[in-house]
Amino acid sequence: MKNLISHSLAIAVLAAGVSLNVLADPPSGQVDFGKLAMPGNGGEFVEIQVNSNLLSLAAKLVEKQQPDAAKLLRGVQLVRVNVVGLTDENRDELTNHVRQIRHDLAAQGWERNVNVQQKDGEDVGVYTKTRGGEALAGLVITVIEPKDEVVLVNIVGDIKPEQVAALGEGLDIKPLEKIGEALKK
Amino acid sequence: MNSSPTSSVVRPPAKHLWFRCILAALLLLPVVIAVEVVSCFHLSSDAKALRNSLIKSSGVEWRQRIALNAGGLALSAVRAGLSFVHLDAGARAALQSVRGAEVGVYRLPSGAKPPDRAALLIAADAAMTARGWDRVVGVMDGSDLVGVYLPKKMTSARRIICCLMVFNGQEMVVVSARANLEPLLQYALAQPVISTKVRSLVRR
Repeated sequence: MKNLISHSLAIAVLAAGVSLNVLADPPSGQVDFGKLAMPGNGGEFVEIQVNSNLLSLAAKLVEKQQPDAAKLLRGVQLVRVNVVGLTDENRDELTNHVRQIRHDLAAQGWERNVNVQQKDGEDVGVYTKTRGGEALAGLVITVIEPKDEVVLVNIVGDIKPEQVAALGEGLDIKPLEKIGEALKK
Repeated sequence: MNSSPTSSVVRPPAKHLWFRCILAALLLLPVVIAVEVVSCFHLSSDAKALRNSLIKSSGVEWRQRIALNAGGLALSAVRAGLSFVHLDAGARAALQSVRGAEVGVYRLPSGAKPPDRAALLIAADAAMTARGWDRVVGVMDGSDLVGVYLPKKMTSARRIICCLMVFNGQEMVVVSARANLEPLLQYALAQPVISTKVRSLVRR
């Protein structure tokens, strides 16, 4: 009888754990960029999504030789990069969409750390969200280049803006590398 | 009546057992080779699903140019053969990493209008997501389209599977590869340039 109760309890706890996992909200640093208007034929569209599964695998791989790099990779849960080329068909819709994302981030308590507006119209916004006031929960970079493209980056996990270029270099994600370099300037 | 079943079992002499095993292996060998040869010209189910989704969404009849599948047995034979040949360390690491590869190349019939790349990507996403794959990379540039898919669940770097599709406006290539990344990564991390880059990444 005792065994039956303990087994039932164990199963109930396990089931609760599984259902909690299923119902769990996305991490607080994760941002849904919504549906991005695709460019017409010939336009540029890049989407890269490296999730925790792949990142932890990468961490496992480099663990022996580079334990510090593995630690950094374990701190990141998701890297998402979107680059969408602007054409006459999607320019207005996309730039408005990015401005709306910025507005929503500010409303949700994200802190705008970098705000660059250049003469050629390039508009860069970097937002961070902290967890418990110390560690970073997420980082969002939004870039509007009115003539060329919009770039949206979301990194979930503990990563500082100055590490973005290095992360882009480490994961061989060119747009991330480029943005990271721009943030240094 | 009550005798135990084990007592009635007559074990063949060990010599005969070995003989039977060798005989069975010899009989099975042509079957294994035949299966390997036949499978050389067929894509696996995941690559096939990816290809079929692209073909269906395009609404065009594509012409198959190549469909090759190099399984574990064939690649093991290649590895064994090349183990006696002097190879560059990088090439050897790459060879040791690849456990299986398949490729299908298809061409649009002449005069056919290239299908919408966004529609192709959406169809491929739907087919692969339903099979438990995630798209890691999606690129559309000019007339090119590239999609890279990885399984949602990956537990070991020793057994990585990846599906890839490339469309350049006329030709479509579907690739599926199985690899053990450890030898390749060990080689990469032993390179001074990469090692320095990784260290600089951590120091920031």
